Amino acid sequence: MKKDKDFHLSDPTWCAGCGIYGIFASLKKAAVALDLDPEELVLVTGIGCHGRLNNHFKAYGFHALHGRALPVAQGVKLSNPSLPVVAISGDGDAYSIGLGHFIHALRRNINITYLVVDNRLYALTQGQSSPTSHRGYVSASAPYGTKENPLDGPRLALASGGTFIARGFSGNPKQLASLIEKGMTHRGFSFIEVLSPCVTQNKVNTIQWFRENITQIDEDPKYDPRNRTQAQGKLTHEGKIQVGLIYVDDKPSYEDLVMPDRDNPLVWNDLNPDIERFEKIMEKFQ
Amino acid sequence: MKIKGKKIADISVMIAGKAGDGVLFTGNVLAKILKRQGWWVSTYRDFPSNIRGEPTNYTIRASLEKIYGQADDIDVFMAFDCGAIIDHADKIVKGGIFLCDGLGLAHVAPSRIDGRTYHIFPLRKLARENFQSELYKNMIALGALSHILDLDFRVIEGIISETFLKRKGKKIVRKNIRAVRLGCQQAKKMIEQEEIHPLVEKKDSGRLLLSGNEAIAMGSLAAGCRYFAAYPICPATEIWQWLAVVLPEYNGLVIQTEDELAALNMALGASYAGARAMTSTSGPGASLMMEAFSLAGMAEIPVVVAHVQRVGPSTGMPTKTEQSDLDQWVYGSHGEFPRIVLSPGTIEECFEFTVKAFNLAEKYQCPVILLTEQDYGQNLRTVKKFDLTKVKIDRGKLLNQEELEGIKDYRRYKFTPDGISPRALPGMKNGLHMVESNEHDQNGYRDEDSENRIRMMQKRMRKLENAAKDLIPPRVWGDRESEFGIIGFGSTFGPIQEAIAQLKDRKIRAKYMQIRTLWPFPRKKVEEFLDSCKEVFVVENNFTGQLGQLIRSQVQMPIRIKNILKYSSQAFRPQEISSQIQMAVR
Repeated sequence: MKKDKDFHLSDPTWCAGCGIYGIFASLKKAAVALDLDPEELVLVTGIGCHGRLNNHFKAYGFHALHGRALPVAQGVKLSNPSLPVVAISGDGDAYSIGLGHFIHALRRNINITYLVVDNRLYALTQGQSSPTSHRGYVSASAPYGTKENPLDGPRLALASGGTFIARGFSGNPKQLASLIEKGMTHRGFSFIEVLSPCVTQNKVNTIQWFRENITQIDEDPKYDPRNRTQAQGKLTHEGKIQVGLIYVDDKPSYEDLVMPDRDNPLVWNDLNPDIERFEKIMEKFQ
Repeated sequence: MKIKGKKIADISVMIAGKAGDGVLFTGNVLAKILKRQGWWVSTYRDFPSNIRGEPTNYTIRASLEKIYGQADDIDVFMAFDCGAIIDHADKIVKGGIFLCDGLGLAHVAPSRIDGRTYHIFPLRKLARENFQSELYKNMIALGALSHILDLDFRVIEGIISETFLKRKGKKIVRKNIRAVRLGCQQAKKMIEQEEIHPLVEKKDSGRLLLSGNEAIAMGSLAAGCRYFAAYPICPATEIWQWLAVVLPEYNGLVIQTEDELAALNMALGASYAGARAMTSTSGPGASLMMEAFSLAGMAEIPVVVAHVQRVGPSTGMPTKTEQSDLDQWVYGSHGEFPRIVLSPGTIEECFEFTVKAFNLAEKYQCPVILLTEQDYGQNLRTVKKFDLTKVKIDRGKLLNQEELEGIKDYRRYKFTPDGISPRALPGMKNGLHMVESNEHDQNGYRDEDSENRIRMMQKRMRKLENAAKDLIPPRVWGDRESEFGIIGFGSTFGPIQEAIAQLKDRKIRAKYMQIRTLWPFPRKKVEEFLDSCKEVFVVENNFTGQLGQLIRSQVQMPIRIKNILKYSSQAFRPQEISSQIQMAVR
């Protein structure tokens, strides 16, 4: 059985109190709970403070371009479905420059896990507004207040056909680890938004603010995450931010539909051309 | 130019109409018939980016000699409406024949103008009266052409049956054959014997008739490509559509992405995981790929991009041909990184270079671009069967599990004398590493130290320093002793070859260098060629002379070159090259 330290490559250097520490810890816990090996796990990150996860988490890592973690992660998974793949983005990465990839990944339902670290601004570039900054939020890029309305990732995910939608909080690594673990065992695309305060840039959405503004979705005893209408209702209800497992659906994954031959990932194919078979193909052009 | 009564050695048939008329379908059936009758075929499509209503034409050229492009003139013209006369009358050779559906006009006597014969041929009327559907106008037109070209009816029947039997059944096959016969009989009635252009039947030696896009798709299959991600774009989509049918049978995968950003990034993810991966695109799509192109260079991930050029800038003319994206791939993207840009000039080279591209990508761990054009990308040509015994898969320094376990302290980006580092795949034991879009150290972890930066840049850039032996060298054609040189790349191959033959008839000897690897630029060979010429013409389908500029920037000698440029959205005709050279050298 592996331990947390087996996935610990080096000590991180995020700001003291950064939410990403909680995500780092939760990811390690989930990997241990799933009995994974660092050499079989692939972690694809985007650009932002979260992108440093790869420097400290022991696994095969791919630090992609800004907004492009999802296309890379999906390419890896389809070539070798035997590898567990986790993609991680920030709110700018996922909901702004990479938004198109997000929606289509939800539609496509490839069996990977996607964490979106939401600190409600661009931290690495020194505090500009992001798609999740609330209207009126004063930032480096919006000194007179952000004019756009914020985007809600889980709501968008539900509308886009997501089959596993959850929201966690970096201040609750135990719950987050369990959500990641569930997401990684889900057969299809699992999306987990993680509320994660930026202690240096965001003086509004602090850890205290998040604590006061979140509510656990399963506190409602009648809540059934398989009920789409209920999920819709919770997500569109004005008020506190819903945290927990929001929605699960058993639609077939992309691999279920296109890769019946799962035991033989295409990366291990013999590539030498079968000449007789090729002759037959050429006949069609005669 | 053809003279009546003489043996025909080369003929061009243009079929024109409006988008939706079935011009392409009719032309493709004719092309196949001509190929089966043993002729070398080359087609040329001039279509709008439109599904219905706008003028369109398709030329099918057949020759006893191997051909690589369009001829100067049209001999036989079949039009589905009279509008086409105005657009193309000047292209019809003296002694040529023109058939046109009068759209309701009854048969009128043929008229002879300027040595060409014009016939009103009521295609739609015949179709309606005999088959209760205008759809049959295409097969009636084919019947008329079969009389004019004296085609073998058994071959026609065979192809019609192949075309319709599976999809539509026996009844439709018989109906179509009847329509061809009807067209043939009607043509016999109205066309005099001296107007026909009878072709000699040769033996079909099992050659193939296919487009450059199809050849690239087949080449990628042969090369072991098993992952293809792309976004729809003219005129490249045929590569994908062919692979979409075939790759799943080979345990491979074709995926439609949300945009070209995703297409190249997904291909990079797949390649990183160990698949031979590819994408295809054209002008604007390539611009979106520029971002990930740089990632491929930085992270040293092998990938192949097939770019079928169309007319730009911007949306331009999506279904027409140009050579204006050379700069985009040779100079494009941010930062500096090694890249290989190949330029096939023929359908055979589309196949061969694609196989080569995958080997080069893995050997040098860098992106490889196959730069082609709409012209031979979408048009059909006859080729000899591809020789699969020549296909060798070379995966370069890709490690297997056993080799990897034998390495102490494995480093993905290890500094090596040739700059190429052994490659492990995710999932392998003892191969843990990082792939970084940031500058990184030998293990792949982000590193902003200047010393490391210098060494890492040199390592990456060093990879192609000694690659010349593996790259496809320029090829010299024509009279090597001549002092007049022509340089070109891609689709100009055919027209330049024919221009040289035309110049020879006019007692001007010329030679031609076909550049087949645009980058790394084959400086030495080009310098030798330039040195052996008194005058050099660079022929290009663009406005600014991008190849000419590339040559000027790369060769280390004083040179004078003249550009022969065409940017009308059409490929060169041989005469357009030979006449300009003739004028310049006299």
